[in-house]
Parts: sequence; structure tokens; C-alpha cells
Amino acid sequence: MKIIKTKGPEIFDIELGKDLLAKNKKLAKENRKRFNRSDILAIDIMGSIGSGKTSLIKAIIKRLGMGKKVAVIAGDLTTTIDAERIEAEGALVIQVNTGKECHLDANLIRRAADSMNLDGVKVLFIENVGNLICPGEFPLGAHKRLVVTSVTEGPYTLLKHPYIFREADVIVLNKIDLAKPMRVSIPQLEKDAQKINSQIPFIKTNALSGIGISKIINALGLKT
Amino acid sequence: MHEFSISSEIVRSVLDAAGKNKGKKVLSIQLEIGELTHLNGEQVAFWVHELFKGSVAEGAEVKIKTTKARIHCKACGYRGGMESDQEDSFRHLMPLTCPRCNGIQIRAVKGRECILRRIQVAR
Repeated sequence: MKIIKTKGPEIFDIELGKDLLAKNKKLAKENRKRFNRSDILAIDIMGSIGSGKTSLIKAIIKRLGMGKKVAVIAGDLTTTIDAERIEAEGALVIQVNTGKECHLDANLIRRAADSMNLDGVKVLFIENVGNLICPGEFPLGAHKRLVVTSVTEGPYTLLKHPYIFREADVIVLNKIDLAKPMRVSIPQLEKDAQKINSQIPFIKTNALSGIGISKIINALGLKT
Repeated sequence: MHEFSISSEIVRSVLDAAGKNKGKKVLSIQLEIGELTHLNGEQVAFWVHELFKGSVAEGAEVKIKTTKARIHCKACGYRGGMESDQEDSFRHLMPLTCPRCNGIQIRAVKGRECILRRIQVAR
């Protein structure tokens, strides 16, 4: 008997069930374990471009006076400007250049930590890429997440980017000395912060003059 | 904003799976994006389509389903949705307190993922 078979394409499903955000979460957990093993407190510093992340880290390091017991991973697209500024404070610094990427991720932090000698380091600051959107979705394994916003960003930053502020453990409002010329109301920004995340500290600072820095140190549980 | 990098990852996974299974053409892909992520489905679909061009997946249909968030409260054991959240503009955010006991020991059990569920290929 002659059998005629149809020759159409064979169509089939391939089940994948692959979570594309899970890999970062898993690596973040591994980073956290590594920091815990070495007794290092890791702090992720996030905030928009020009909000004062580097100035704030510099001011905190200066106040802590812990020398090489403080390490900083400075994230940026292409330059080493931030790393050089922080290095001047005597901390151990490594620059991570993300190239085109808008946020640091857990894998980059793992690689940076691999390349540093963290012996004796007690506090690790991770300065994220200036951005209020993406870093919120990419945990790095830090114990605490601090978000800096400044009055020079205008009156609506908190309301426009609630996600990242909700993910934060500490909110810092920087450049408070410029509120008047910027015509920005600090009490209103504080109210906005309350609305988004009422359970965490909201600290007003001027990183350049040192106002509010000791409050941040307390809020992060850093010993002076 | 990071739709591009996630889309690149999706495209890599799709082409890898198709290649391993000797697929000559990818007909469709199914994605599930959690409502607590910051990913915009329309932008993901756009980039996936763009990145598929010139590959066996060019022209494949990109189906996206939004996964509703579910939260769990460690204090009272609540498991469920987060309907109680305040305003529309905050709907993509995790609530801060448990809708049942108002406690703060809540975590998201669903809604923070971006899953490549399955792909359909022709051999």
C-alpha cells in the first residue's frame, strides 16, 4: 500500500518558564551572603544625575574617618570622575563603567567585589548610576538602599518616581540651602515622601556644608 | 527604561531555545510581565520585534500577559491581592502595609517577574 504523508511544517511548543529578572535577584542574594561572611555593611546609594550622590558619600566618609575600612564601588557610564573625587577622602575605591547600561546590576557588583581586596573593610558604599528608574528594579545585595534627591530637581521628583523611593530604606533631600532660589517647598517634598513611604527616615542635607550627615550615619546604623 | 536590556535577554533565550530544538522558524513567543515590575509591555514587544529582525524569529508574534501581584503577610498570614492600595498612580507599587492587619511584614510573592513562558517553533 502506498502511503502519502503530508509535508507541512511540524509546529511545536517549547516550554521555557524562564524568569529574566530572577538571575539578578539570585546574584544579589549571593552578594549579600558574601558581605555578611566578611562582616561588611553594604549600602546602595541611588539618585538622579547631579543630586549629590558623590558629594554625600564624600561627606559621610569624611565624618566616619575610617580610612581604608571604607570601600566604594563607583558606578558610572564612562568616566572616573566620581571615583577620583572619592579617592581623595582616603577610601578604597573601584570604578565600574557600565558603558551603555542605565543601572548597576548584581553581576557587576560581584565582579567589582572580586577585584577588590576587602580584607578589613567594614562599610561598602555602592554608588549607582544616576537614574531614578532602573536601579530600583535591580537589587545589588546591599543591606540598605538610600535614595538622594535634591531641591534643584524641582518640586515633583518624589511624586514622579514613587517606585524607587518605595524601595528605599532612607530618603535624603539634598541641597536644602538652595530651596529658596529654586522656589521649592521642603515641607511639601517631605509630605510627598510621607505619602510614598512613611516608615523610613527622610533626612534633609547640604552635603557640601555637612548638614544632616550625622543623621544619615545614624539612620544607616554606621558607627562613628 | 531597561526594556532594551531585558528584550536582548529575551531574544537571546528565544534564539538559543529555537537553535537547540532545530527550529527553522519561531512563530510566536509568550511573555508574562508582573505588574510590580517597571517594565512596559509595549516597549518590550517593540524591542523584541526589532531584535528578531534578520533571525529565524523575524516576524514572530509577541504575546504578553500581565501577572497580577500577590502579597503575603508574615504577621497575619494574609495571602492575596493588593486591592487596598491608595491611588491609581501608585498601583504598580507594592503596598506598604498588609490590607488585613496593617502590619509591615509583607512581601510580594508574585508580580515582580518577567517570564519567558514558551515559544512556538516550526521545524
